[in-house]
Amino acid sequence: MTREITLSKAVNEAIAEEMRRDETVFLIGEDVAEAGTPFKVTSGLVEEFGTDRVIDTPISEPGFVGMAVGAAMTGSRPIVDLMFGDFIYLVMDQLCNQAAKTHYMSGGKLKVPMVLRTNLGATRRSAAQHSQSLHALVAHIPGLKVAMPSSAYEAKGLMKTAIRDDNPVVIFEDKLMYNDKAPVPEEEYLIPFGEANVLREGTDITLIGTSSMRQVCEKAAEALAKDGISAEVIDPRTLVPLDEPTLLKSARKTSRVIVVDEGHRNFGVTGEIASRINEKAFYHLDAPVLRLGAMDVPVPFSPALEDLTVPTPDAVAAAARSLVAGEMTHAA
Amino acid sequence: MAADGSKHNTEDYLRMYRQMVRIRAFEDNANQLYLSAKMPGLTHMYSGQEAVAVGICEALTDDDRITSTHRGHGHCVAKGADFKAMFCELLGKAEGYCRGKGGSMHIADQSHGNLGANAIVGGSMGIATGAALTAKLQKTGHVAVCFFGDGATAQGLWYEVMNMAALWKLPVIYACENNGYSEYTKTEEIAAGSLTARAEAFGIEAHSVDGQDVLAVNELAQKLVARARKGEGPFFIELKTYRYHGHHVGDINRDYYRSKDEEAAWKTTRDPITNFGKWLEGQGIVTADELVEINNEIKADAEAAVAYAEAAAYPPGEEVDAHVFAGVDHALTYIDGAAK
Amino acid sequence: MPHEVIMPALGMAQETGLIVTWFKSAGDPVASGDALFEVETDKATMEVEAQADGYLTDVSAAAGDEVKVGSRIALISEDAEGSGEAAPKNTEPEPAVAPAAAPSVEGKDVIMPALGMAQDTGLIVAWHKAPGDAVETGEILFEVETDKATQEVEAASSGYLTARFAQEGEAAPVGSVIAVISAEAPENPVDQSLADATPSASKPAPEAATPAPAPAPDTKSAPAKQPAPTPRSNGRILASPKARRIAAEEGLDLALLLEAGHPEPFHVKDLDTLRQLAKEAPAVATGAGVAAGLRLEAEVPAGAFDRFLSKLSASDKAPSRGAILATFAASALRNSTDPIRVSCADGDGRSQTYRDPDLGGVAEEDGAPDLLVRDLTGSFVTSASLGAGAVPSLTLTRRGGAIVVVLDAAPDRLSPDAAVALLTAFAARIDDPLRALL
Repeated sequence: MTREITLSKAVNEAIAEEMRRDETVFLIGEDVAEAGTPFKVTSGLVEEFGTDRVIDTPISEPGFVGMAVGAAMTGSRPIVDLMFGDFIYLVMDQLCNQAAKTHYMSGGKLKVPMVLRTNLGATRRSAAQHSQSLHALVAHIPGLKVAMPSSAYEAKGLMKTAIRDDNPVVIFEDKLMYNDKAPVPEEEYLIPFGEANVLREGTDITLIGTSSMRQVCEKAAEALAKDGISAEVIDPRTLVPLDEPTLLKSARKTSRVIVVDEGHRNFGVTGEIASRINEKAFYHLDAPVLRLGAMDVPVPFSPALEDLTVPTPDAVAAAARSLVAGEMTHAA
Repeated sequence: MAADGSKHNTEDYLRMYRQMVRIRAFEDNANQLYLSAKMPGLTHMYSGQEAVAVGICEALTDDDRITSTHRGHGHCVAKGADFKAMFCELLGKAEGYCRGKGGSMHIADQSHGNLGANAIVGGSMGIATGAALTAKLQKTGHVAVCFFGDGATAQGLWYEVMNMAALWKLPVIYACENNGYSEYTKTEEIAAGSLTARAEAFGIEAHSVDGQDVLAVNELAQKLVARARKGEGPFFIELKTYRYHGHHVGDINRDYYRSKDEEAAWKTTRDPITNFGKWLEGQGIVTADELVEINNEIKADAEAAVAYAEAAAYPPGEEVDAHVFAGVDHALTYIDGAAK
Repeated sequence: MPHEVIMPALGMAQETGLIVTWFKSAGDPVASGDALFEVETDKATMEVEAQADGYLTDVSAAAGDEVKVGSRIALISEDAEGSGEAAPKNTEPEPAVAPAAAPSVEGKDVIMPALGMAQDTGLIVAWHKAPGDAVETGEILFEVETDKATQEVEAASSGYLTARFAQEGEAAPVGSVIAVISAEAPENPVDQSLADATPSASKPAPEAATPAPAPAPDTKSAPAKQPAPTPRSNGRILASPKARRIAAEEGLDLALLLEAGHPEPFHVKDLDTLRQLAKEAPAVATGAGVAAGLRLEAEVPAGAFDRFLSKLSASDKAPSRGAILATFAASALRNSTDPIRVSCADGDGRSQTYRDPDLGGVAEEDGAPDLLVRDLTGSFVTSASLGAGAVPSLTLTRRGGAIVVVLDAAPDRLSPDAAVALLTAFAARIDDPLRALL
């Protein structure tokens, strides 16, 4: 049976199911218990599991992330709630120097099975310190896995896989999608890491969209179809590991690729994926691989400005039309 | 010496003595390996602080966890590690505790509950507190000891985790080895007020003890560990001790921050091994000859372990991308989706 | 076992230590922790303590000696007599930790210093002294380029540059001996390059510092063996990688698009236009394309032609084999009074052009032929279709007892009907040469 539930509810179900399944799983973070987080994602969990397993912390991000690392090393499977993705900067040492490297530095003897769930996404009028999409920072660090759910379905399946993974996994949910509904099976399911999802098949151009940029790409594809342009839409679902074979197969088929991601464009996820396609499918490309990302400015507060900084379906479609028309995308 | 000899049996005393000598012997050999250019990288000597690691670790079981520091060989030996696997790790050999991937500054010994040395000053304070959180949640009765130096008290992480440990009564003991120097700077130049008062501000019971007196350290540790197991933690201990060498093995010319007279005074009058040996003699537990015999035997052990490690093999090249992810043999193909 | 007293590595990037003073003499009793000697490094002077109890023996370096880090300079033995082992020469390092052993020359070794954090070799940019030159302590001896910068290295002692083991432009392993400064002026200064060194001399120093290099784990990303072809310096045609690849596979020249006025960049969709252009363009003889062309093949028993030629060869005024073939070809092609030039080539690369040979024409020196005859019957080639060149060609090969004739022609040069007529007429002449001449 499949029903439509919100992304928020999907995450909640995933955590609850895994906490029922495995008593070493616990949830820790700021206002995760009675408050259920500002986005009400974890509401109801404390009632079922108690304050021992749904742990409210002081506002001490490095402290509770560090504790989660230690708890994970000693037989627990913590899920850390980092209220805003922007706070990644606060926990960089614990996440990147400790969690990411412990298994390697110990020659495989110590494991850190923890999940850091946090969010990304602009246009919530939250300004520069609560609107960033910083997944590229952690995807850069060997030893961390990075998942980017693009709907309620992915959010649940990837979260359950993350909780069962023996490594530190960072999950970025788009904070603007928490109330978006999608069909989610009643039955248990997991989504394996490293398996991209081809959402729409096409022959003229491939649109690769992460997280909510998947929806942006889907809308662009619909608009393009009206112009007779057949766009393929792919959601990588995890950045680490990245399902290169699926992306490359599509690139070879359509010969044109646009990568859309809400992180800043410079030195980011779009550049990484474009580069891999360039390296491994160059002779199948009929156009340069384009990157569409967040504008390289701090996220502004004013709605009039903020809306200019994120990729939109119109922008994706326009770029696609230009590529299909064979227009010069750069000065010769 | 602080303890009343009747409370311990001879075996405990001799083990503590041996463990301290083992640390000193390990460090002397590690120092020689570095000086003779046989050891890659650099290392930080624990010599002089042996009574701290041994006094505390002798109060712990293998299931109790410790986190260690860049000056971590002493903690590793005191927690029960084997010389050969340690020297192999220091030389980057495959038989090292971490298959040569960690080295001196990341040596970890899971089999004895050592969660690893940490090259970020104060970096393991969250880990130790998290180990205590597991112990509390899973009701294991285990205790975690977080070793760190006076320099690490300047890290904000400590105050965050002390706060939570105190709020949740976690079985963690923060053991601050105050050796008087934060790298190349006197502690009084980097630490305002009192260190014990900092812990007390969180309502944490704080103690100060002579870190050169292994019996005093052990007696306090036994009591606090037992209380932590019962849920009376956390605790803070400031252990006043002394670092015989520089900040690292290459820190030779250190007159500008520390005088030779001061070093000589600590070595001649406050050495934890010499003084404990004298006390054992005085108590009639052991003779001077027997002490020499113990020293020689351990020295020979250490030298044999060095020779073993020098001859041991390096890890094969294909291990370079192993152990990046648990359950993944080779990370490079995995992250590209090629292993799917 | 005596305990070795070793010149310690004290600084971060130190190769040698200067013994300032010995506090103990050979035969003196020493206790662990006693100050043994004072050493001066790049940074400071410090005392080195004994690491064992016993007697100082086998002292092999004196105050004032500059000793390589890691080398043995004395022993602490169980008795005052010492080991009785031959003392190593004062500047000679322990084999296990020795920097590269250079050819033995008396004097103070000059060592390639470790200057960078992760540096394995130093490139000698320039020598400021030549073998035999006098050298003062502090004078610039050579310049070395590391991963970071070029640095001048000063002489650590005075004397004469008596030997040099590495030349400008050579990269010497860090810690290896690259020269020697002697106290006395050398009679025959040594001047070698690293290439002269024995294998053992180029061995890098401490084994521990050079773990086996890991094999590159990702062979897929290994650089291509050959550099990419240099693009045309100007006028490079802008085309997508895929369009370029397909054009190359089909033998299409992207320049045709440019010449026809199509705007760059070119994409796969432009290739249809290009294919059409290639058909319209005169076929080029370079063989670049196997663009669509006519190919007809005929097979004729060889007997009559062979007998005809052998009879002819008896006569001393007989025309050449090429002339006969050219005659047959021209007459087979003849359907107008326009001059016909036939070029006849054999398998050995000889060729001759004839004008109107069927009308009794004479050999010409030049002039573009209208028809090409390739006579490969004397070669081992049994079948050949050499593609449509600028002009139609008839290629003759021998297969068993037959002569095979292949006609290749671009469609714009020969209509299919004309091609059939040409090949039929030519084959008939081979089949019955006598009648053809009559």
